[in-house]
Amino acid sequence: MVAALAGLIVLLPLAGVLLAALGTDSADIAGRDIARYALTSAWLALLVGVFIAVSGTVAAWLVAMHRFPGRGVFAWALALPLAVPAFALAYSYADLFDVAGPLRMGLRLYLGFDLPFSMRSTGGAVFILSAAFYPYVYLAMRAAFLNQSVNVLEAAAMLGCNGRQALWRVALPMARPALAAGVALGMMEVLADYGAVQFLSVQTLTTGIVRAWSVYGSTASAARFALPLLAAAALLLWLERSGRKGRTHETGRGRWRQFEPQPMSKLGGWLASAYCLVLLTAGLLLPVGWLIWNLGASAPDWGRLAGAMQNSLGLALAGAVLTVLLATMLALGTRRLPLAGRIASLGYATPGAVMAIGLLAPAGVIWSLNPGSGAAIAIVLLLLAYAARLMAAALEPIDAGLARVTPSMIHAARTMGRTESSAALAVDLPVARGAMLTAGLIVFVDILKELPATLILRPFNFDTLAVIANNYAIDERLNQAGPPSLLILVLSLPTVIWLTHRIALARPGS
Amino acid sequence: MRLKNMMIALAGLATLGGCSSGDEAGDAGVVNLYSARHYDSDQALYDRFTEETGIAINVMEGRPDELVARMTSEGENSPADLFIAADAGALWRAQQAGLFQPVASDTLDQRIPANLREPGGNWYGFMRRARVVAYDPARVQPEEIDDYAKLATPRFRGRICVRSSDSVYNLSLVGALIEAWGEERAEQWVRGVVANMARQPEGGDRDQIRAVGAGVCEVALTNSYYYIRMASGDDAADRAVTDKVALGFPSLDGQGAHVNISGGGVARNAPNRDNALRLLEFFASADSQRHISANNNEYPASPDVPAPAPVDAYADFTAHPMSVAAFAARQPQAQSLMSAAGWR
Repeated sequence: MVAALAGLIVLLPLAGVLLAALGTDSADIAGRDIARYALTSAWLALLVGVFIAVSGTVAAWLVAMHRFPGRGVFAWALALPLAVPAFALAYSYADLFDVAGPLRMGLRLYLGFDLPFSMRSTGGAVFILSAAFYPYVYLAMRAAFLNQSVNVLEAAAMLGCNGRQALWRVALPMARPALAAGVALGMMEVLADYGAVQFLSVQTLTTGIVRAWSVYGSTASAARFALPLLAAAALLLWLERSGRKGRTHETGRGRWRQFEPQPMSKLGGWLASAYCLVLLTAGLLLPVGWLIWNLGASAPDWGRLAGAMQNSLGLALAGAVLTVLLATMLALGTRRLPLAGRIASLGYATPGAVMAIGLLAPAGVIWSLNPGSGAAIAIVLLLLAYAARLMAAALEPIDAGLARVTPSMIHAARTMGRTESSAALAVDLPVARGAMLTAGLIVFVDILKELPATLILRPFNFDTLAVIANNYAIDERLNQAGPPSLLILVLSLPTVIWLTHRIALARPGS
Repeated sequence: MRLKNMMIALAGLATLGGCSSGDEAGDAGVVNLYSARHYDSDQALYDRFTEETGIAINVMEGRPDELVARMTSEGENSPADLFIAADAGALWRAQQAGLFQPVASDTLDQRIPANLREPGGNWYGFMRRARVVAYDPARVQPEEIDDYAKLATPRFRGRICVRSSDSVYNLSLVGALIEAWGEERAEQWVRGVVANMARQPEGGDRDQIRAVGAGVCEVALTNSYYYIRMASGDDAADRAVTDKVALGFPSLDGQGAHVNISGGGVARNAPNRDNALRLLEFFASADSQRHISANNNEYPASPDVPAPAPVDAYADFTAHPMSVAAFAARQPQAQSLMSAAGWR
């Protein structure tokens, strides 16, 4: 019942998109261009998917299972790129490596050579988006590795597996739902991205959508362009789900014991540190360092930024709570209807412009019933829009967390006289708590970075940091876009750090 | 479990909505502004308006098409009074969506030249921006770029930098060429420019200017205010670029450079129609035009308002007399033509 309501809220905008796609108006965009956009989108998503799967898993495996210099810091720091909006990474990298930027000008002038690549290219976009999204995989995999009982790995060792074999034959297959969830999230982000790719002059399907809408004024055409993206997302989610089917790993049977990270050889330890440092540099240190370096050239309006910061924080907090609540209800309610949960996740791969079209249809009904459109209504609408748009980010980790609840655990609770729902409260929620926190973290920072829904649904005189950063970027005032982008980072940092610690603690048995 | 915390968060949210809404009305009332212009200096202008009239301004900033979609969706209950944007095409699309009401105002008619407003009184331009060229004076003679047509000639093969056809400013320029020359000749021009591109379109207008400075190309299409902003701003690196790069004003058929507008119109269902008109007239006042020009480096729309520093140094050019409404309506046509010619 509650799940149905949660589902309805989430599905309304998607229904709006489908409805819009049925419209008759169309945009004059050549088939050749559409094919090029689609191909670029596909390549981008595929390559970023591979890169984040590998880089995030390796980092998670190193941090969760080994001792090496700096491990304690990397454990939480590797999640920090999540706190930087992808569009800010794009601004920073494009600026730093611009053909007329100080770096390349200096190289040409003093060393007489030019770098053989451009950040404003598909390759550059793959690099930047991978650097932005690997934490999805890292966080999911780290939680998964930490939650695996040491007994299983010891059993693997007794059967003659060395560390690498234990990874390939035991830990990875068991963590596959988490890997699939992390990669699916990252790839859906790539498909839906407009801010970063647009800035990098990489034309994807979202380019076609914006063109259809803003040049030809055709919402129907824009919505139709989103359909292949939704189909791709559905495929991703289906693949992920079908890979999980029939593979319940009942690892809780053996007694759970604290896992002691294994020491590495001296060289191995330093290599591990270097690897983590490279990842962190690409996702955070280099681009954010460049933004900070350029702060001197900006003249921030601190009063306006402080107000926006308050708004961002309030929205992110309330939105995260609401989204996680709805996601938990959906996850519990749709365990026997996996399809429903999958459909509810599609909002994540819906490009902002299309989501805006989908959101405006139901919002229009509410506005027409409430003349004047008060601020409170606008905020509630906005929160619901966040839930609809970011449901996948919350649903994936919670689903993966709940997947660890074995039928025998529920059966045990039921034999002790619990009803179905109280068994859920007593068993599911405690087990999924770590996952709910991961979900809350991701949604919180996602809302801090969120643009399309915020732009289109917020009340009067209400800016968020992301909105301000975007306004400056549109007007090509990148130095000015620095302070709001950095403030987003400042808000997210403590949360990311705190929550990564919580994830580590949420290990059952500790 | 954490229900209490959630409640606290939600309660906090309610406060948030309450304190930031800005719905409070002064004695003179309010005006609700939907703005697709995002300039810090606009806020100072709003404050001055409130000071002068006692009318409070509620602002909703956004991208033009999203604001248009929101107004459409809000329908008759839309709180929007005035919609302003920084491109004639955006205003035209809002008009197509039926979001404006025609207004008659002697003040506006007096201050805004006829070609910078919509003939039916649906929208008015109060600032101008010229789409012109930045060029390397060491390699290009001024007379080589004094006509848009020359940019498409083999003289500039592999020597032009320009951003993608996603830019509304490029669409408006090509729209103007279609209006002046007809589709066939405009298409030839577009194909010529595509053949002359030094690289695939990337970045914004400022990036094109910097590319000229870095020697990547000799000529770049840009809006006037980006160059002026770089030349007069605080960034030493930007000023160094503009020392080596000049701003040139090509002409269309010898009648002057292509100009676009910042402008606005009164919303069809405006609950505060009179205040909206008053705000629009305020934007069009000589003081406001000077303020915007000094801060944002656009040109004043009124011929009798001289551009202040630093814009005055670049204000000595002839603007093409074409009606902005004419080229605005040709943006979709321009997009199709440019895509077909391979202008990404």
